[in-house]
Amino acid sequence: MGSEVLLVCICVPLFGSFLLPLLGMINIKLRNAAALIFTATAFVCAALALPEVLAGTPLSLHYELPLGLSFGFYADVLAVFMALTSSLVATIIVIYSFEYIKEYDHQNEYYMMVCLFIGTMMGLVFSTNLIFIYIFWEISAICCWRLIGFYREEITIRRANKAFIVTVVGALIMLVGFVGIYGQTGTFDLAAMKGTHLPAWIVILILFGVLSKSATFPLHNWLPDAGVAPSPVTSLLHAAVLVKIGVYIYARLFVNSFEIDKVFTVAVPIIAAVSALVSAGVALRENDIKRIIAYSTISQLAFILLGLSSGTEIGVLGGLLYILMHSVAKGGLFLCAGIVEHTLHTKDITKMGGLYKGMPLTALAFLFCAFSVMGIPPFGGFFAKYLVIDGIISAGNVGLGAVFIAGAVMTVLYLSRLFIKVFLGETVSDAREAGSPVMVASVVVLAILSVALGISIHWPSGFASLIGGGI
Amino acid sequence: MQVIEYTTLLVFAVPLVILLINILLPRQLAEKSSIGLAYLAPLVQIVATAAGLVQIAQLKQHEFAISWNLAGAVSVRFAVNVFSLVLLFCIGMVTLAAIMVANRTVPQKRAGFAGLLMMLIVGMNGMVLVTDLFSLYVFLEIVGISSFVLIAMFKSDTGLEGAFKYLVMSVLASIMILTGLAFVFMQTGSLQYDQVGAAGGALVGPGAPHLALMYTAMALMIAGFAIKTGAVPFHSWLPDAHQSANTAVSVLLSGIVIKIAGIYGFIVITNFFGRLPGIDLTLALIGTVSIVVGALFALRQSHFKRIVAYSSVSQMGYILLGLSTGSVLGLLGAVAHVFNHATFKSTLFTNAAAVHEQTGTYDINELGGLEKKMPVTSFSSLAAFMSTAGIPPFAGFWSKLLIIMALWNSGDWVFAAIALIASIFTAAYFLRLQRKVFFGKLLDKFAQLTEIGGSVKWAQIMLTVVTIAAGLLFPFALRYFGGIGIL
Repeated sequence: MGSEVLLVCICVPLFGSFLLPLLGMINIKLRNAAALIFTATAFVCAALALPEVLAGTPLSLHYELPLGLSFGFYADVLAVFMALTSSLVATIIVIYSFEYIKEYDHQNEYYMMVCLFIGTMMGLVFSTNLIFIYIFWEISAICCWRLIGFYREEITIRRANKAFIVTVVGALIMLVGFVGIYGQTGTFDLAAMKGTHLPAWIVILILFGVLSKSATFPLHNWLPDAGVAPSPVTSLLHAAVLVKIGVYIYARLFVNSFEIDKVFTVAVPIIAAVSALVSAGVALRENDIKRIIAYSTISQLAFILLGLSSGTEIGVLGGLLYILMHSVAKGGLFLCAGIVEHTLHTKDITKMGGLYKGMPLTALAFLFCAFSVMGIPPFGGFFAKYLVIDGIISAGNVGLGAVFIAGAVMTVLYLSRLFIKVFLGETVSDAREAGSPVMVASVVVLAILSVALGISIHWPSGFASLIGGGI
Repeated sequence: MQVIEYTTLLVFAVPLVILLINILLPRQLAEKSSIGLAYLAPLVQIVATAAGLVQIAQLKQHEFAISWNLAGAVSVRFAVNVFSLVLLFCIGMVTLAAIMVANRTVPQKRAGFAGLLMMLIVGMNGMVLVTDLFSLYVFLEIVGISSFVLIAMFKSDTGLEGAFKYLVMSVLASIMILTGLAFVFMQTGSLQYDQVGAAGGALVGPGAPHLALMYTAMALMIAGFAIKTGAVPFHSWLPDAHQSANTAVSVLLSGIVIKIAGIYGFIVITNFFGRLPGIDLTLALIGTVSIVVGALFALRQSHFKRIVAYSSVSQMGYILLGLSTGSVLGLLGAVAHVFNHATFKSTLFTNAAAVHEQTGTYDINELGGLEKKMPVTSFSSLAAFMSTAGIPPFAGFWSKLLIIMALWNSGDWVFAAIALIASIFTAAYFLRLQRKVFFGKLLDKFAQLTEIGGSVKWAQIMLTVVTIAAGLLFPFALRYFGGIGIL
């Protein structure tokens, strides 16, 4: 398989997205099919690149430009791992969207932005140049902005603007850091500066970008507010894929490319610990189903960041597995929440209860995904959580390990509370299984994946350990 | 004869001939046909400069003279290099957009508009091509006078205040620049660029003579060109002039006039005197203050055109920052930003015209949810604003990046960081305008609204295509400049 497969993987969704509004004017079914094909193309191409990458021959494309602004794509195990994870979840979410948003305005823009976002994500994970990483980073912010504002209410647009401003501020500060790297090395090319030691101030500047995109304390505020978006959007952007950009860049830069000071193996985990505890605490108190899951996302992202920043191979392995498990399970949770919201037309969990009777499949899927997020064996999330905490403890930080175990306990508490309030107890409404078969099937697939990835853990962990070994 | 010679001849000859025809035609006929005829000048200019850009890659620089002997003492010499060609291209592009807008927004005095526009084009082309400071001043005056009349001639709109303010400030600037020129002449004994440049170089270092005179000259010229640019603290005329001008004239004014009349003056100054201690810092400070203050003022406005005008003030700051580095990279960044700003600012004023034509108001508080009814206007304003805010992949990102890199290379990392992070103010006022005007629920009173048609719509499409294409293809532009040996 030649390196061109990377170009197909990136360009088909990236440029194909602009065809979708045109197709939408002709025929809605055609547009939906095209959106699905473009998204699935990304997944298929990433999968096609897999055998060679696993065999130890990374695919690469490279064009030299003046000023160290080379343009290139590079597929190593880490990139392909991220690409597969994102495009898999994205494909399922696109299928789910067919039913979910069919009754709203602005569908053409919706599919265009979703598809553009997938292309952007592929471009971001394969880029070899800091400037192109930044470019894709910002395109994803534009998609995020339009998609949060999907319903066009005053409040949704204010929230969309907030998300845009926070992430763009973070990205701009990060860009200052990138230019600082350029000042030091004279290039933006990641391969050319591999192994450079970065001064602390540059790391801190880049961390602003990472923390804002991955919604980690203290730049986490936009994520719960972004829950005003349609549920598939929340699922795709604010649980499964977009928020992983930050931690991916952390892995790409600070684990894979540069050397950074030892102090960050303590400082970043402490930030993560604060983030995990604070957001888990808020999740216990919230009554809005999507805000609870959003705060849970913030909390789980902190676990990923912890693993990647622990400085141990086992922690990094755990962090990477966590990205996969969390994408699948949290994506599933948001989609379930979407079905619930779609049925009851409310997001307030105090007005819900006993939904298990009406929608057993959704309830079960929710439960499975929740188990994975909680870290109950044998669900996938368990292994990731275990490895992350093992990683920080083997780095010698027993105290932080204990904090994160507390965080994990809180996860169990708030997700159990959510499940009990929504699906068990007194029946407050007589909702039948109102989620359409397509929507229910999507969440069931994600739930099954959560179990399957856990039971056959040797496969994803072998994959992820290849990345860890490569590092 | 080489292509480039046609280029340089055509950019003077075509507008002058059109001006002549415009005057000679009978009044009735001129009113009808003048706008159509005027299209010719920018179109020829765009094609000619594009051809010139292809050829200059081999020539680097080309000199020519009109009417006079090239070697003679009193000749007016003209020269083109790659940067002036880019500027000429911008002039062509913006005037084309302005004519397309004028076709709709200028119901009467069309012949007068077209004639003045031709004069303006000649003035701007002349400024970019001359090789001595005095001729620069002469063409600057042509630009100043014709743009004053353009602003004032449609006084039915909102009165003369803005135009009058512009006239006063502009004349003040001219006097300052002329006095500064006199001082430079006293110091160097010549106003030819090459001799001034040599004299400027000799002024650097300890024991240089008459520095006080030189600094007075610099202070006067910087202040003069800063007024023409609309940089803070000399910006107050710009929003008023825009508010009272016809929108087609606004396109011209913000799109190109402030850049040629103001920024090009700074390019000349920094080219020759940039190494005088303190000049770079002055420019950098004016630039930084303009960026921040302009953007903050834009946040408070509710008049569509005033927001865009203050945005111009802010963007001029980036160009000044690029020039303050004195490096080729900085100059390239500045010229690239001139190009990008010409594109996206013309787009925004075109959008203002479209919104005003269709809804009858410029007040953003009275608008809402227009994207559904005016998709072209909405999308082009989105692309233009993204480009203004320097959000990739739109073109504005690249020129800002070059400016930031140039600043960083010359050690001004504080300014680089401020300039980058100040982009967020740009994003803030643009999000506010988008939310109030386009993004949101359609107000009931606009249920019957339709998209603008005709030439204005085509202007929007053309400019948006340029913005997006420039953003996506900028790496090729970098390769082009690298190929010439500039990078």
